[in-house]
Amino acid sequence: MGEKITQQGVPFERLKIASFDFTCCEGCQLQLTNRESSLPDFLGLLDVRNFREISSERHDDYDIALIEGSISRPDEVERLLKIRKQAKILVAFGTCACFGGVNNLKNNHSIQNLIDEVYPGMAIETLPVRKISDLVKVDLSIPGCPVDKGEVERVMVSLVTGSRVTLPKYPVCVECKAQLTTCLFELGEICLGPLTRAGCNAICTSGNTPCLGCRGPAEEINMAAFFELVKERGLSLDDLHEKLACYNAFEPFPSHEA
Amino acid sequence: MIYKVISKKEFAGFIDALVQSNRSFGPRQVATDLRGDAIYQFQPVHSVDEIAFDYSATASSAKHFFLPFQEELSHFHFHGNDWEQQISYEANPVVLIGLRACDISALNILDDVLLNGHFPSPGYLARRKNSFVIGMDHLPLADCFCKSMNHHTVTTGFNLFCSDIGDHYYLSINSSKAFSFLREFETRDPNDDDNCMLVERRKVIQNGFQTDIDVTALPTILDIEFDSPVWEKWGNKCLNCGTCAMVCPSCYCYALTESFTTNLKGASREKKLYSCNLVDFAVVAGGHNFRPKNGDRLKYRYYHQHRGFAENASQQICVGCNRCGRACLAGINPKDVINDLRMEKESCMICVSSSPRKI
Amino acid sequence: MHDLRFVISPQDINREDFASSVPDFNRRSDIIKTDFGYKCVVTNIVRLTEQERLFQLHIIDSVERSLFRFKPGQFLMLELPGYGDVPISISGSSSNHEFLELCIRKVGHVTSALFTITEGARVAIRGPFGSSFPMDEMAGHNILLIAGGLGIAPLRAPLSWINEHRNRFLNVDLLYGAKEPSQLLFTWQFDEWKMINHIQLHTIVERADPQWPGKKGLITDLFNDISIDTATTYAIVCGPPVMFKIVCSWLDRLGIPMNRMFVSLERRMHCGMGKCCRCMVGSTFTCIDGPVFDYWSVMNLKEAI
Repeated sequence: MGEKITQQGVPFERLKIASFDFTCCEGCQLQLTNRESSLPDFLGLLDVRNFREISSERHDDYDIALIEGSISRPDEVERLLKIRKQAKILVAFGTCACFGGVNNLKNNHSIQNLIDEVYPGMAIETLPVRKISDLVKVDLSIPGCPVDKGEVERVMVSLVTGSRVTLPKYPVCVECKAQLTTCLFELGEICLGPLTRAGCNAICTSGNTPCLGCRGPAEEINMAAFFELVKERGLSLDDLHEKLACYNAFEPFPSHEA
Repeated sequence: MIYKVISKKEFAGFIDALVQSNRSFGPRQVATDLRGDAIYQFQPVHSVDEIAFDYSATASSAKHFFLPFQEELSHFHFHGNDWEQQISYEANPVVLIGLRACDISALNILDDVLLNGHFPSPGYLARRKNSFVIGMDHLPLADCFCKSMNHHTVTTGFNLFCSDIGDHYYLSINSSKAFSFLREFETRDPNDDDNCMLVERRKVIQNGFQTDIDVTALPTILDIEFDSPVWEKWGNKCLNCGTCAMVCPSCYCYALTESFTTNLKGASREKKLYSCNLVDFAVVAGGHNFRPKNGDRLKYRYYHQHRGFAENASQQICVGCNRCGRACLAGINPKDVINDLRMEKESCMICVSSSPRKI
Repeated sequence: MHDLRFVISPQDINREDFASSVPDFNRRSDIIKTDFGYKCVVTNIVRLTEQERLFQLHIIDSVERSLFRFKPGQFLMLELPGYGDVPISISGSSSNHEFLELCIRKVGHVTSALFTITEGARVAIRGPFGSSFPMDEMAGHNILLIAGGLGIAPLRAPLSWINEHRNRFLNVDLLYGAKEPSQLLFTWQFDEWKMINHIQLHTIVERADPQWPGKKGLITDLFNDISIDTATTYAIVCGPPVMFKIVCSWLDRLGIPMNRMFVSLERRMHCGMGKCCRCMVGSTFTCIDGPVFDYWSVMNLKEAI
C-alpha cells in the first residue's frame, strides 16, 4: 500500500492485524477474502501480519487479533493466552468464537464417550468446548456463521477511522420485513428471527430457511413472550429447544416453559 | 376529478399496456399460509394476467415505494483536506396498481407530514411525483377497521381509482396523465345506472366491516392513560422486533447512520426506516434510554398512530388497515389495545390498581 | 404510445397534479435546509475543559453565509463527514454573521471525532432549527438566567442578545453552577459581563479546594442571594434535566408565571426537521417545537423532565 490516506489532515493508520483459527471450519476467515469487488479496498485498510490463509509471512507485532473458533484443546488455551498478551484489540470472530457455535454440541456428551466414538483407542487430549470470552477478555465480537463480510468491512473501517463500532441492536425481523419475506411462522415454522441480532440482511429467512440464531441474541429480547407464542401456535417446544441450542447463542437465557 | 366507466375487458387492455412499458408493481400471491389463505405482496408485474385483482390485502404496505427501507441521503467525496457533498433526488417512474383506499389515505398522511411540514423531503417528493397510483376498492377483511378511522374511502392522492360495478369499473380520474392515457381506450360517461351501481357498491363495502374501534376522544384517553397498566400488560408481550412499523403504511420514523466507504475516499449518510419499538430508539448520546421498557416503547407507537404529533396538526396517522395486527407474532393489535384502554378508563375496579412505576 | 417515462429532477419538480401545495424546491435554500449542509471551515478551537471545547466556524460560501441567520436558543446539526451529525445549540451571538460559536462536550462518537480535528478542517452544518427564546417579548423586564454545567452554552446566545441590547432590559441576574471551579466555562467573559454589561453574576460550585473564594453548594443555594420582583421577571433555565424540575418549581413557588419561564431540552436527534421522530417528548418534537419551551408546555409533557 503506497498512498497514505488522510482525512481532514488526520492520517489514518492501517490496522496491524492477525487472524488465528482454533476449533472451527475456517469458513469465517475465508469470508475475509470474499466480496471481490471491494477486496483491494478492504486489504488497503489492513497491514496483515499473520494470516495463514492468505500469506506465508508470519510476524508477531500485530495490534488486532481475529480469533476464529472455540476452544477445545489444552494447547489452544495456551495459544489464546499468548495472543491476548500481544493483541490490543482481540476480536471474537464468528459464531464459534462468540458463543461456542455448533462445536458446543460436544458438551452434551462425556469426553470419554466422544473419544471412544471418534478416536477409539487413541490418546487424545480434549476439553469441553468453550467460547473465547470464557477464557480471555474479548474487546469486540463479530458474530455470524459465517461472518458477514460487509459487516467485517464496516467494523474495520470504523477501527481505522476511530469511529464507533456498532452492531445492530434490533432483531432480524427488521431486515426480513424490508425484503417483504413471508414470515416463516405463517408457514408453520419456528424461526429465531425475533430473537436474533440483525446484520445478516436476513439471508436465511429470505431464502425460506428459519433463522437459527447464529448471530446471537438481539438486545433486550423477550424470551418469555417468544416461548408463549410458540406454545400458542401449537409448535413443537422440542424444535424450539433444538434451535436455541444449535449455536449455544441463547445459553444465558432461561427457558420459559412453565 | 373526471368520472368514466370502462368495461373490465377494456380495462385489462389498459393495464396491460401500462405495465408492459413501465416498471410496475401490483398484488401477487407469494405464499399460502397454514390456514390455506393466500399471502400477497406488491411485486413486479409485466402483464395484466400476473395481477391478483381480487387479492385480500398485501402483507406489507406500498410505503416502501416512497420511503425505501434503506436509502442513501447524501454522499461525501473527499479530496485532500476538502470534500464535496452530493445528493441525488432522482426517482425512477413506477406504476402501482391495486392500492386499497386505506393505502392511498396513508400516502396522503405521509404527504401531510413529509411535504407540508416545516422541512419538506425532496426525496419523498421526487418519488411521489414519479409514481402513477391506481387505486381499487375492495371488500373489507374481517379485521379491517379503516371505517372506524374514516379511511375506507379516499378522494385524493391517486391518479386513478377504480370501483368495481359488475362488468365495469367506475373510474375516478384524478390526473391529466391518467386521463390522456385512457383516451386511447374505450370509456364512456357514467349514466344513472352506473351511478346507482356505484352507490350500491359503496354500501356493500360500508356494511361489510366486522371490526369497529371506538376512537372517540381517543387522543384525550391516551393522555389520561399515560401511566396505565395496560401498557405494561401489552408491553410484556412485545418482542421489540419492529415488524409492526415495517409493514405499516404510515410509519415513517427513521434512523440516520453515517460511515466511510471502504476505500475511505468517501462517506455516505444513510437513512433506514426504524421503529419506535426497537430497543435503542430513544437512547441519547451517553447511553441514557428515555424509554427503557417494552411498554414505554409500545405506548409511543400508539401515541404516534392514534394521538398524532404536532407536525401534522395532531392527526391520527393510523388508517386502520390492521397490517400490524396481522403481522404481530405476539398478537398485539390496535383493536384489543385500544379497547383495553377504554375498558380501563371505564372500569372503576381497575382505576384503583397501581400504575407501573415511572422511570 | 403508453410510455410513462418522465424523470423529474428537483429543478422542475412542480409538475404532476395530485399532490397539492408542493413546496418550492427551485429555491435552493429549501433544499439546503433539508439535506445539503453549509460547508464551514473550523477557524478556532478553544479548549475549555478536559471535556468541553469551543469551536468557531465560518461558512465558506458568502451567499450561504448571508442565508444563515439564527435566533438565540436555536440549534444546528453539525456534521463531520464520515462520522455523522449531532444537534448542537448555538452559543455565540446571533448578530455575529461571520463566525458561529459552538460549545461541544465530548459525549458520543461524533463529538469524540470532533475532538480529533484541528483548525482548518471542514465540517457541514444544517439549520438553524428549532424554537428560540422570545427576546422581544422579554425586553422591558428583569431577566433571571439560571445555568447548570454545560447549560451555560445554550444560554450564552440569549445572554449575548441581552448584552447587545442591554438598555432594553431592567436587572439581569445570572446564576451559574458547576461541579468544580475548573468546570466553569467562559470565565474570561465574567468580568466583561459584570463590569460592562452590568449583569449580576452569581457562581457556585459543588466541590472546591479551600483556595476557591466563591460559594460552595448546589445552584439552589444561590436562590437566597437574589431578590426577584416576580411581576416583572422572565426566567431562562438551562442545565441537566434534574435541575429543571427543582429550579422551575422553585420559581413557580416564588410566583413567576409558568409561561415566563423558559427551558431548553435535549434529546437524541437524527434529522432536526420533525421527521425521524427520535426526539419526541410526549407528542412534541424537541427539534421543531423546541428545544426552547416555556415551563407550562414542558410541565404538561410526559417524560419531559
